[in-house]
Amino acid sequence: MTHTSSFDQKYREGSSNGHHRSRRDGRRAGPQSRPFIQRHPSVMIFIACLALFTLTVSVLSEGFGVGLISTSFVKTLGKTLCLCLVALAMDVVWGYCGILSLGHMAFFGIGGYAIGMWLMYARTELIVIQSLAAAPLPPTAQEISQGIATQIFGVVGASEFPPIWAFAHSLPLQLAAVVLVPGLIALAFGWLAFRARVTGVYLSILTQAMTLALALYLFQNDSGLRGNNGLSGLQNLPGQGATPQSTISLWFLWASALALGLGYVFCAWMVSGKFGSVIRAIRDDEARVRFLGYSVEAYKLTVFTVTAIIAAIAGALYYPQAGIINPAEIAPIASIYLAVWVAIGGRGRLYGAVIGAAFVSLLSTWFTGGQAPDTNLGVYTIQWVNWWTVLLGLSFVVVTLLAPKGIGGLFDLIGKGRKP
Amino acid sequence: MNTLLEVSGVSKTFDGFRAINNLSFQIGEPELRAVIGPNGAGKTTFMDIVTGKTKPDEGRVIFGEKSISLLKLSESRIAQTGIGRKFQRPTVFEDQSVADNLMMALKKDRRPWAVLRFRPRPRDHDAVAQLADEIGLMDHLTRRAGDLSHGQKQWLEIGMLLAQDPRLLLVDEPAAGMTPAEREHTTDILVEAAKTRAVVVVEHDMEFVRRLDCKVTVLHEGSVLAEGSLNHVTADEKVIEVYLGR
Repeated sequence: MTHTSSFDQKYREGSSNGHHRSRRDGRRAGPQSRPFIQRHPSVMIFIACLALFTLTVSVLSEGFGVGLISTSFVKTLGKTLCLCLVALAMDVVWGYCGILSLGHMAFFGIGGYAIGMWLMYARTELIVIQSLAAAPLPPTAQEISQGIATQIFGVVGASEFPPIWAFAHSLPLQLAAVVLVPGLIALAFGWLAFRARVTGVYLSILTQAMTLALALYLFQNDSGLRGNNGLSGLQNLPGQGATPQSTISLWFLWASALALGLGYVFCAWMVSGKFGSVIRAIRDDEARVRFLGYSVEAYKLTVFTVTAIIAAIAGALYYPQAGIINPAEIAPIASIYLAVWVAIGGRGRLYGAVIGAAFVSLLSTWFTGGQAPDTNLGVYTIQWVNWWTVLLGLSFVVVTLLAPKGIGGLFDLIGKGRKP
Repeated sequence: MNTLLEVSGVSKTFDGFRAINNLSFQIGEPELRAVIGPNGAGKTTFMDIVTGKTKPDEGRVIFGEKSISLLKLSESRIAQTGIGRKFQRPTVFEDQSVADNLMMALKKDRRPWAVLRFRPRPRDHDAVAQLADEIGLMDHLTRRAGDLSHGQKQWLEIGMLLAQDPRLLLVDEPAAGMTPAEREHTTDILVEAAKTRAVVVVEHDMEFVRRLDCKVTVLHEGSVLAEGSLNHVTADEKVIEVYLGR
């Protein structure tokens, strides 16, 4: 059987003129020499959309005077941007690297707790100093500390600062904690899990276990973080008592937009080059990557830790807008929702994750907020407040089965339509 | 010709089945060697042991002038030390372009931080183009590896191996599923590669082995049955009995 297609012809010619090691000088793939943004137009488009969105919301907000968008809705939008950021992190770790972590919302929560501790401490401190100012004798440092502790921990029957509040007086230290605590937890957890070559569904279960353990720990009153009361009053910035919430909400909207923009560029940079190639290769066939000489464990650990930190930063921006954080926020279900957003938006593409998080979380707010009108079927009235989770679950199943590329896949259709 | 890889007294048992039984094997540099043997002779397990995928129950595996024991190293360390492996089924990263596949395999610093900052220079693109030329995929650089034909995938994988610039290349049935013309080209690539390094080819197809024109090691029940030229081993009584069949 002699198979002589034009293709065979081609390589015969190729092999007949030998293996010239010195030939090739043409084909210096030009596109690589252009700047990062130019090579990735989607990044530019995303940043432009984000800027336009932020500007529009700002101009129409109460803080700016127009008032078409209420302050509470500005906060909802700001929070949504934070959720988009954590979805980006989830997309990198899951969509690109193939690690289905069901624990990234735990890192998000830890970030919130870390910043919440400072917010609560600093504001309570101001209140205590104010109330003690009327006393005949100037209060000692110990009295002030006692006062703050009683204020914060009275609710769980304690009046002393637990050791983990040692740095709560310092904003820089708590900001460092936002990054370091989740980073170190992710590093330790990832090191143990990846080194033992735990993969696939077992790893997902392990991350859920970690999340559950953390939530249960925080639920305890003696965890030092006010048990199930959590931290509250986080929307009040210390020293900004006179600033209206309409203004503060804008500050956080801008900060969240900035963080999302930077996060997007960073993630795009991370997944675009050879690093992106390697982590996608790990997702598709990690054994093969090992035989190429890459330490798969080191890559997974890097991705897991970096995305945990991104999640924590998102959380640190989210909770001051939410005003309250409690252990229920860290419950395993939150991390599962995160995976659902990314799946619906389309994993393996960054804008997909952002779209999924924004779309589903806003829709969720609308449904669960009671704004969705009940649907009367005659025999049964669908109350969307309760049925929303069912709808979400169904759409997750439908997307997974029928449209694995998610909403982001629609962009492929548009692209195909333009250039056939 | 120095000994590059020395496997001595290696045994491996899977659930009571002796896959490798007191196997000893040596290869120099440069050298081309074909390993043949019936199914279950331990060819793939042998490769698994050398590349670190499987740890043997006993024995030694020594590599290079510094006599590094490979048994203590992870798969990725072994690959970095200079051993490349091609699997029976072509395993390329189907979702990525031919160029990306080759770029990933190029011999470079493999640590995450270095890779994160890595941006290809013109000479890296040249190296990729050169390899693509060698394996006949020059016109397919931007194509998705998954869209290549079976034979092209085999070559791409061989190209990725060459890109790693290993001192020892382990190739498992490279000609499986290839057309006669494709086989010929594969033979050329392997013979060329063996001029500067050690290449071990595991193969079923006698015709292909004949074309490689090299020393042959016959494995049977996990140990070496015979070694020598193809004519020598095929004339061996024991080999005829177990492998060629009566």
